[in-house]
Amino acid sequence: MAGDAGRGGSSRVKFDRFARRKLVNRIITVLAGLAVIAALYPLVDLVYTALVQGGGVLFQLTFLTARNPTPCSVVSCATVGIGPTIEGSAILVGLASLISVPVGVLAAIFASEYRTRGIGRVVSFTADVLSGVPSILMGAFVYGYLVLEYPNLVESVISGSLALAAIMIPIITRTTEEALRTVPDATREAAIALGIAKWKMSLRIVLISALPGVVTGVLLAVMRAAGEAAPLILLTGFSTNWYTRPDLPVGSLPVLIYTYALQPYSNWHAVAWGATLFLLIAILVVNVLSRYTIQRMVTKMSGGS
Amino acid sequence: MNGDPLADTGAPRGYDLLVRHLKDRAVKMGEWALGMVHDGWKAFDQGDLQAAQTVLDRDTQLDRLDEDMEHAAIAFLVLRQPAAVDLRTAAALLKITTHLDRIGRLGFDMARITLPGPDSEIPELAEIRSLLQQMDEVVEPMVQQSLDALGEDRIELARELFRRDDVVDRMHREANRLIIEGLEKNPTLARRLAADLLVAHHFERIADNSCKVGEKTIYALTGQRRSEYLPRHPFRPYALETSLPPPRGGSGSRSSPRGSGAKAP
Amino acid sequence: MESVKLRADHLTAFYGGKPAIQDISLEFPDRKVTAIIGPSGCGKSTLIRCLNRLHETAPRTRVEGKVLLDDEDIYQLDPVRVRRRIGMVFQKPNPFVTMSIYDNVSAAMRFNGRHTREELDHAVVHSLQQSALWEEVKDRVDAPATSLSGGQQQRLCIARALAADPEVLLMDEPCSALDPIATAKIEELVGRLKTDYTVVIVTHNMQQAARVADYTAFLYLGKLIEFGPTEDLFERPKEKLTESYITGRFG
Repeated sequence: MAGDAGRGGSSRVKFDRFARRKLVNRIITVLAGLAVIAALYPLVDLVYTALVQGGGVLFQLTFLTARNPTPCSVVSCATVGIGPTIEGSAILVGLASLISVPVGVLAAIFASEYRTRGIGRVVSFTADVLSGVPSILMGAFVYGYLVLEYPNLVESVISGSLALAAIMIPIITRTTEEALRTVPDATREAAIALGIAKWKMSLRIVLISALPGVVTGVLLAVMRAAGEAAPLILLTGFSTNWYTRPDLPVGSLPVLIYTYALQPYSNWHAVAWGATLFLLIAILVVNVLSRYTIQRMVTKMSGGS
Repeated sequence: MNGDPLADTGAPRGYDLLVRHLKDRAVKMGEWALGMVHDGWKAFDQGDLQAAQTVLDRDTQLDRLDEDMEHAAIAFLVLRQPAAVDLRTAAALLKITTHLDRIGRLGFDMARITLPGPDSEIPELAEIRSLLQQMDEVVEPMVQQSLDALGEDRIELARELFRRDDVVDRMHREANRLIIEGLEKNPTLARRLAADLLVAHHFERIADNSCKVGEKTIYALTGQRRSEYLPRHPFRPYALETSLPPPRGGSGSRSSPRGSGAKAP
Repeated sequence: MESVKLRADHLTAFYGGKPAIQDISLEFPDRKVTAIIGPSGCGKSTLIRCLNRLHETAPRTRVEGKVLLDDEDIYQLDPVRVRRRIGMVFQKPNPFVTMSIYDNVSAAMRFNGRHTREELDHAVVHSLQQSALWEEVKDRVDAPATSLSGGQQQRLCIARALAADPEVLLMDEPCSALDPIATAKIEELVGRLKTDYTVVIVTHNMQQAARVADYTAFLYLGKLIEFGPTEDLFERPKEKLTESYITGRFG
């Protein structure tokens, strides 16, 4: 203790500073924790409510395959199923993917392989901007075009798919371009030096190298499109019929949830909750499956090491 | 680093010092060898056996200088992996030490074959002895000149050696003639005359080795090999030669050499 | 007199407006190894990349002059075809990481036409033998290329380049990223390759040039200073600049 006497003053100051820092640390940590809870609360609440409200409905065996229910205001009305709606969503998203994946990927290849010339940068910038456009505007764009050229297609599978594709393309382009950028230039040089034509090199070598990233991007876009309601409300509308022709409207899950929730029929509310739960579970499953598949792709490509 | 990369920055770099050091070692060895020639001839000329002994004792040191030089040159080659002028210098020095060793050894042998009592007391040998003295007066400066050329990077000094070598050749032929005549006239002096014959031969060899040192010096500095500036002429046995061949080797200029000289085998 | 396989004729190449090499005229003798040496920034990489038209794939570049392969100016030919006749190996080994050893070596053939499985097999084995890698990988030819060591990967890249059946092989500092043993293996390989190919090798290591090359060219600040048989250039360089460089007295 005698030795501390000379430094007594400064060591006490140090101790205070240290204690204060620890206190501040702790306060910030608590605040951050509270923020996390605040952020997660809506999600947790939603999932919980969906489970409670939709669980009973969803786990009826025929829910996913039976046709939509008829309006009915009595408690004991049947909830039947959302079969056609699931089919509709799948068709809309499927068709949108069919359009958007090739276009988006090719645009990304163009942007990435010609990035040094102005046009590549323009494409990249455009994709960036478009990915931030609200989906309702995409819907309005498609709506405006179709009203003028093909008015009979305004309420159809085609219009909805186009709108979803318009939303998906920028996402796919951006993520694919990012993935292509991770392929080192050395690979491109090696291919060119072997006398492989540029487009072959881009498609068959560079793209394949970047495949995990590209697939991730596509799945992200798919999941986004699966959950979009606004453009579909505007365009395709809602229908309870099974799919017949592309120029007719078809049901989709987000629109179903929107439509049924606003109706007074209690069995329809139950169906809406069931659909919500289904959508949540589907997205979760796709997410998990895709992570697993991509991980396997990555390890297979880099030699299982 | 701007400007001419070849501009001399002033202070010698470590590398240059190394090369300089190698050359200085060679010159030191040459001076040792020259000392052995000088003292070996003196001992022989004066028939001084004690002086001869001191020359014989210097043989070990000559060996050590030779080995050290060789070792230094090889170390330089393997550690520095030199190219161009540095490479040529190291390679040339390896051969130069052989020639310097030879020169020292010839001086050593002069001491070795010393016979007691100065020959100047025997009148018949006077002319021969005076000729040998003249040879010494030409040959010793030649050795020194070859060392100067090496140590000071002077090509013209090296080139001039070839002209002097012709002079030594002529003196050697003359000495041969005199000694053989002497052998025919005075068979009793055979021992002495035989020793003189060897000494004359040794002088000629020392001159030749000095020329070789000069050749290697020229090679180190310019990369030129002897055949590029000194054409050889075919030799013939002495017995078939009617007259002395014309001298070869010009002065230090680059003019074409005038004919070639025959060298004693 | 050697026959000339490849020739640069008043070649000048620009990087964003500034010339990286200027008015270089140089002959590469057929089936010999020619080394290009010089200090950093002297333009040796630029020069070699002009020989297979790789330089022009970078942005803001320009090339003037000719490069003649068997008397045909490669700048008048289809660049893709040119690069099949003039192959290149790079400083850092760059195998295709998503492909196996077999797929790497056969890449040129697979992407440039139809070949039967037997043809591919034969070419793969032959190329791997030529690049002294066959014995080490013959029982795991389907393993990923990334499972090889650095030196092996570089030999793989050499095999890949050879499988395209070029006439000329360009090597841009192929051993810079390798340890001495791997370097020695590749130098030995280069010595054998010259029976079938004309080799041009850029190296910053003068001793390497001395070891592998029949002819050496010395570049400085984008210009060709001296060219000649390696022995002559290293024993008796004609230019003062060359001598300064190879004796290490630069700057």
